[in-house]
Amino acid sequence: MFVLLQDVQKHSVHTLVFRSLKRTHDMFVSDHAKAVALDDQSYKMKMAVKMRAEYKPVLHMPVLKEGRERGPLHASDPYGQLGYPLPGALPHYLVTGTHPYPSAPGVALTAETQMQKMPFLNSGLLPRKAPTMPKPQWHPPWKLYRVISGHLGWVRSIAVEPGNQWFVTGSADRTIKIWDLASGKLKLSLTGHISTVRGVAVSTRSPYLFSCGEDKQVKCWDLEYNKVIRHYHGHLSAVYDLDLHPTIDVLVTCSRDATARVWDIRSKANVHTLSGHTNTVATVKCQSAEPQVVTGSHDTTIRLWDLVAGKTRATLTNHKKSVRALVLHPRQYTFASGSPDNIKQWKCPDGNFIQNLSGHNAIINTLAVNSDGVLVSGADNGTIHMWDWRTGYNFQRIHAAVQPGSLDSESGIFACVFDQSESRLITAEADKTIKVYKEDDTATEESHPVNWKPEILKRKRF
Amino acid sequence: MSLASFLPAPTQLSQDQLEAEERSRVQRSQSTALVSTRREPPPYGFRKSWVPRALEDFGDGGAFPEIHVAQFPLEMGRKKRTSNALAVQVDAEGKIKYDAIARQGQSKDKVIFSKYTDMLPKEVLNEDDPELQKPDEEAVNELTEKTRAALEKQVSQKIAAAMPVRAADKLAPAQYIRYTPSQQGLAFNSGAKQRVIRMVEMQKDAMEPPRFKINKKIPRGPPSPPAPVMHSPSRKMTVKEQQEWKIPPCISNWKNAKGYTIPLDKRLAADGRGLQTVHINENFAKLAEALYIADRKAREAVEMRAQVEKKMAQKEKEKKEEKLRELAKMARDRRAGIKAHGDKGGEDTEVRERDEIRHERRKERQHDRNISRAAPDKRSKLQRDQDRDISELIALGQPNPRTSSEAQYDQRLFNQNKGMDSGFAGGEDEIYNVYDQPFRGGRDMAQNIYRPSKNADKDMYGDDLDTLMQSSRFVPDREFSGADHGPRRDGPVQFEEDPFGLDKFLEEAKQHGGSKRASTSGRSKDYDHEKKRRKE
Repeated sequence: MFVLLQDVQKHSVHTLVFRSLKRTHDMFVSDHAKAVALDDQSYKMKMAVKMRAEYKPVLHMPVLKEGRERGPLHASDPYGQLGYPLPGALPHYLVTGTHPYPSAPGVALTAETQMQKMPFLNSGLLPRKAPTMPKPQWHPPWKLYRVISGHLGWVRSIAVEPGNQWFVTGSADRTIKIWDLASGKLKLSLTGHISTVRGVAVSTRSPYLFSCGEDKQVKCWDLEYNKVIRHYHGHLSAVYDLDLHPTIDVLVTCSRDATARVWDIRSKANVHTLSGHTNTVATVKCQSAEPQVVTGSHDTTIRLWDLVAGKTRATLTNHKKSVRALVLHPRQYTFASGSPDNIKQWKCPDGNFIQNLSGHNAIINTLAVNSDGVLVSGADNGTIHMWDWRTGYNFQRIHAAVQPGSLDSESGIFACVFDQSESRLITAEADKTIKVYKEDDTATEESHPVNWKPEILKRKRF
Repeated sequence: MSLASFLPAPTQLSQDQLEAEERSRVQRSQSTALVSTRREPPPYGFRKSWVPRALEDFGDGGAFPEIHVAQFPLEMGRKKRTSNALAVQVDAEGKIKYDAIARQGQSKDKVIFSKYTDMLPKEVLNEDDPELQKPDEEAVNELTEKTRAALEKQVSQKIAAAMPVRAADKLAPAQYIRYTPSQQGLAFNSGAKQRVIRMVEMQKDAMEPPRFKINKKIPRGPPSPPAPVMHSPSRKMTVKEQQEWKIPPCISNWKNAKGYTIPLDKRLAADGRGLQTVHINENFAKLAEALYIADRKAREAVEMRAQVEKKMAQKEKEKKEEKLRELAKMARDRRAGIKAHGDKGGEDTEVRERDEIRHERRKERQHDRNISRAAPDKRSKLQRDQDRDISELIALGQPNPRTSSEAQYDQRLFNQNKGMDSGFAGGEDEIYNVYDQPFRGGRDMAQNIYRPSKNADKDMYGDDLDTLMQSSRFVPDREFSGADHGPRRDGPVQFEEDPFGLDKFLEEAKQHGGSKRASTSGRSKDYDHEKKRRKE
């Protein structure tokens, strides 16, 4: 080995470096911008070795014909984005073999394999793309068209009859009034409560009207005789809200004593006492699918209950302030809750968080939802915000003027409800009036354009 | 030649033999393994330098007292520091279960949100997405039925407590269960592999009172473990924000329950004095001025009008006076003319006298008539008597009418058509309506009042009071007959004659009373006297 030393010429470091530079320059100066050309043979060898080393066990598997067709046509995403840009400009790596997966070495390329997209596309693993904001659906704006006055105190609750002929309101003047929906005239006044009537509900299965008040009473009125026929005794403090189960003859009421109670309508028995909240339960909603009972409370939590066992199914602690309003979507399997920090949308049955609707920075007393996807939130300062349910776009803000004679500070919305045709919104207000809103027919997409500026970085504060 | 060779093989094996068989069977199976994993301690006598360190060194026995080392066979005897720390658990995919703490007291399948990803908003999904659709009808109906059944059961339990005792329910007690015990062998269950059990519900005593006392109040059990909080902690309050929410203490202008002494500026602080300057609109001054001017103008106008009217009235009066004067003159002339005519006829003095008397009487009558016409305020004699007060009538001695002796009724009782609540007059205190007529009328009073007759004092003084009064027998200072007349006394004090005439002088001065014209005063008195005489 010492013989070689003689052959090596002794050059200075400078010379050696210079020579190396020169050679590099000569080799690459003509095509330094071009990518390195792939040597076929070396590439083949590399691929063969890799295939054998890593994919040997699966080389015998059959080709998936469907995978080949699906690739270029549409990305299999359930998001319905047809405009989704498929990465078509990927370099086509030459794959040896007829299979979508690299096969044994030496098999010639076929045209089919050349058409293939990247293999991992077919396996369903989509690359993470930038979140594209969906465009909100256009809704016509709502306008006030009738103001009904007649109550002598705050109007605290509203319910609409299943046949859409009349609606009921409960008020702080301890009366329950029944109004004709079409004309707005008073039909009937019911007295019996000794304090504010906080909740009313009309049964769809029997001619009963249920009302609850701050006097701890829950009454069942027979609408054929306009008399109270049952009392549900058991709450220890003011009853704030009630709801009827759509399919079972069961009534659920929630109260300031931090419980919700489930009553059998016919026998007046207190079937379950849903305890677990640590502060006033402000709102309760019932549905026929799981979770059957949802309650929102002033301890900032929402509880989903199992009606069979009478136990909490899940507790949602995302809100920072009291939850005063809940609403279940009529068509979808979702619900929304309102609190002064945010309105949040959730998915049933486990209460998975979907999204936030922020912008209504006031104490939200009530929420209502349309089949068209219009969500209405009514606040304690008299403002109404209209949202598109799917995207959370706030397309309208209304602050109706108070009744003449009322102070400006006496504006607040305690309850709002859509009628059965979902074309009229009826709100119960603090200036002792009932206001009815309808969609403005003269508005079009051009006159009231959608001004959607989504925040790309949705991960802000919770 | 053992006994066993003669006897037939035993059918039942004893316990020891069974164990030995098992051991041999196990050993045979173990012998196929390459390496024997059992580590046995060295037998007794060969343990000189051997120390058991691991758990397997003990075999299935206990500690070795001859080896002076702390030994914990089967981990017994170690001082365990009890901590409530949860052991780190790993889920099926190999990831550490960090929510084990949150799930401590609950079942595995309870829904608990504890990950950061649970807080993140999800992608906005299409409306038709299957994830967002409600479960189909059948599932919902099934759930409804299940729920209804469960609730019914609950309700019936609650109601049954109130319902009266009925006949006991008959339950079909014919349940047979086939049971395969886990411990199998010849000794257990007489070698049989399975057992059949007959299950019967115990009969409930229908007349039995409740077994347990439910009137005791026991404290509530612990609540379910709290759910993890899925929001950021509340933002810290800045000093500025805290200052914004500061509420000043209430200093009432009316109440001071604890009797605090509060400086005056704090007491009036809420009043808002000095915070606003009072602005008065200048229109007020304008209004005041305008009113003043209008008032003045109105007064002037009124004065002017009054003056004008006065002038007019005066003119009218003058005109009237003129007219009257003319009329009077005419009348006088006429009368003079008539008189002149009358004088020419009738030469008899008597006839003339009678005519004069008639004339005078006529004149008087005319005079009276004129007066009554011109001065209606001056009342006639009749009218005067009617309006007289009782005392005046008595003094004048007017005749009084008689009262009627029959009973008198309140005239307000008759001819009434008013209602039941009339007559009270609304509780007015000032009206005086007790009687409907005056007591006896003004005229009646006079006659009922005591009028003494001429001889009222008969019993006192005798018949002739007048003669008695006019007798002059009793006179003061009467001298005896034939006595000397002394100086006549004028008063209690008698003065001597004054030489200088001062009395006269003083009297004269008093009479004139300061007026220089003594003659006029004297004349005026005489003139009045004359005039009076002439009138009457």
